[in-house]
Amino acid sequence: MRTGDYKQTYGELVALIDSPPVWLWSAVLLLALIAAPFVLNSYALSFVIIILITVTGALGLNILTGYTGLISLGHVGFLVTGAYAYAVLVSKYHMPPLVGFLGAGVVPALASLMVGAPSLRLKGLYLAITTLAFSFIINTVILELRWLTNGARGIQVQRPEIFGISFDSDAAFTYLCLAIAALTLLATLNIRRSRVGRAFVAIRDNDTAARVMGINLHAYKLFAFVTSAFITGIAGALYGIYLSFVSVEGFPFLLSIEALAILIVGGLGSALGAVLGTILIVLLPEATRIVFSLFSAQMDATFTTGAQELKSMLYGLVIILFLRFQPRGLVGAWHDIRRAWVHWPLRY
Amino acid sequence: MQYLIQLLISGLAIGAIYGLIAMGFAVIYKSTGLVNFAQGEMTMITAYIAWTISTTVSGNVFVVAVGAILAAVLLGLVIERLVMRPMLGEPVFATVMVTIGLAVILRSAINFIWDAYPHGLDVGMGRGIVHLGGIGVRTGQIAVIATLLFLLAAIWAFFRYSKVGVAMRAVAADDRTALLMGISATRVHALAWAASSVIAGIGGVFFALSYDLSPAMFQLGLKAFPATILGGLDAVLGSGLGGLLIGITENLAGGYLGSGMKEVAGFAMIIVVLMVRPFGIFGERDIERV
Repeated sequence: MRTGDYKQTYGELVALIDSPPVWLWSAVLLLALIAAPFVLNSYALSFVIIILITVTGALGLNILTGYTGLISLGHVGFLVTGAYAYAVLVSKYHMPPLVGFLGAGVVPALASLMVGAPSLRLKGLYLAITTLAFSFIINTVILELRWLTNGARGIQVQRPEIFGISFDSDAAFTYLCLAIAALTLLATLNIRRSRVGRAFVAIRDNDTAARVMGINLHAYKLFAFVTSAFITGIAGALYGIYLSFVSVEGFPFLLSIEALAILIVGGLGSALGAVLGTILIVLLPEATRIVFSLFSAQMDATFTTGAQELKSMLYGLVIILFLRFQPRGLVGAWHDIRRAWVHWPLRY
Repeated sequence: MQYLIQLLISGLAIGAIYGLIAMGFAVIYKSTGLVNFAQGEMTMITAYIAWTISTTVSGNVFVVAVGAILAAVLLGLVIERLVMRPMLGEPVFATVMVTIGLAVILRSAINFIWDAYPHGLDVGMGRGIVHLGGIGVRTGQIAVIATLLFLLAAIWAFFRYSKVGVAMRAVAADDRTALLMGISATRVHALAWAASSVIAGIGGVFFALSYDLSPAMFQLGLKAFPATILGGLDAVLGSGLGGLLIGITENLAGGYLGSGMKEVAGFAMIIVVLMVRPFGIFGERDIERV
């Protein structure tokens, strides 16, 4: 059992997986996810799919808000652009799905340059407000560009077929989402431990100091915006495919709040946090519904009629309670528990 | 010409409502340094309470007005005490996220306490039409513009002459020094939340008078946002005037460029303002110490 850190080189400190148990558990998790489509029924599987898609999106926002400390209230704007880019390329112009996914990343990335460039002069709250404005403007742009996006009518999207493999069934689609989520997780973890990631964190902790140390603020902030929008756009495309219909109504503003809630609940600036937060936030409404139905059938009925309202109320409550009592999120709680476990009965 | 004047007048009227809510934003920002993303929702709740009073107790204007103001004060105080005060001293990001969480909760609460259907607030006045030189204007529209101007003057005098107003400015300028001078920062914060809730609530009630109450009313907060940015987040009077400017711009854009533009005119303006003068027309430039 580990009793402390015995790392001697920088390489050991930044290693992705630093001990055999972590290897073991990661492998177990991966195998469990691969086995999931065979074991779970379609209702449970739909939660797995949503979690995988949401993890991708949350990791995207994590690069911007968690690592670089730039608050975005308009991430749903990137989601919806990604979904529309995919839908327009694949459903309207009959491009191959891989091109669609590339477009779903590149188009939001370009859009993020447009919102990112003016935001370079802004900090904190003002940036949050600009991104909020961006997400409303992008909705109107989509509704107005009728020749391209069908306006309010939306676009139908089929499940893709890549390299001759059809992702039509839910099981196959789970694997597609799993592959993309795993790739994204690897990518963000690697960004975090590279020079770029250290620059992001330096900007978050103190941008003036970072600049004094020779970090090009403009370049790195834009890079954070572009990477984040790219990943979020791909998550948007996956979500659009999952809904099998892309429209502005399918991407309500609440998704931006949900994404921030995930990061806060999980723990800002941690990839593990984004994963834990997603699992909690996605399963929370369902868990609450089950608890409610235990009490009485009448409460269960309230839940089905006011599902959307109860869901957003839960998000709000969770955000407030976590910020108040556990600002470091689930990751912070996990670290505390681990430390207590290792050092017990000593305090530290 | 007739069309233009009509657009300008209705722009001024809706702008006055934005202005009132924007002043609500500014009062809180000025004394506590945070943007209250739940402002639109608080406005909506005050308007709904006014509607409940008008339908259950009495439709008399004064009863409704007094009841709504008292309810708004109570709402502001309760939110400050229960939600915001525990967050005192936490980073700005955390506190602002708390207001976002609060906004989501209040927005859903409307659907549970009241219902999802639109209602008209009827206090027996405000919907009549007065003809001014051939142009029909609702009395409610005149009243809201007058209220905004009156409140602008009253708040200016309050901050300039009253002891409490000076204390609020002191806390805004430097809360630690203000504390050393014997000003209770928490009391000032509570006062700011109550005042902001009342000012914005008045805007909400006027909106319900001229248009309709519905759970989508929280969007007023989003619409008033550009007004605060334009006027300056820390400039209460500037925000009020910013509201008028945004209302007119929005109506002109809607009238001449199409209804899609009406929705985003304010937001497009935010981005322009933030690029050119991030602290707003009347706001103070932040000087950062390293």
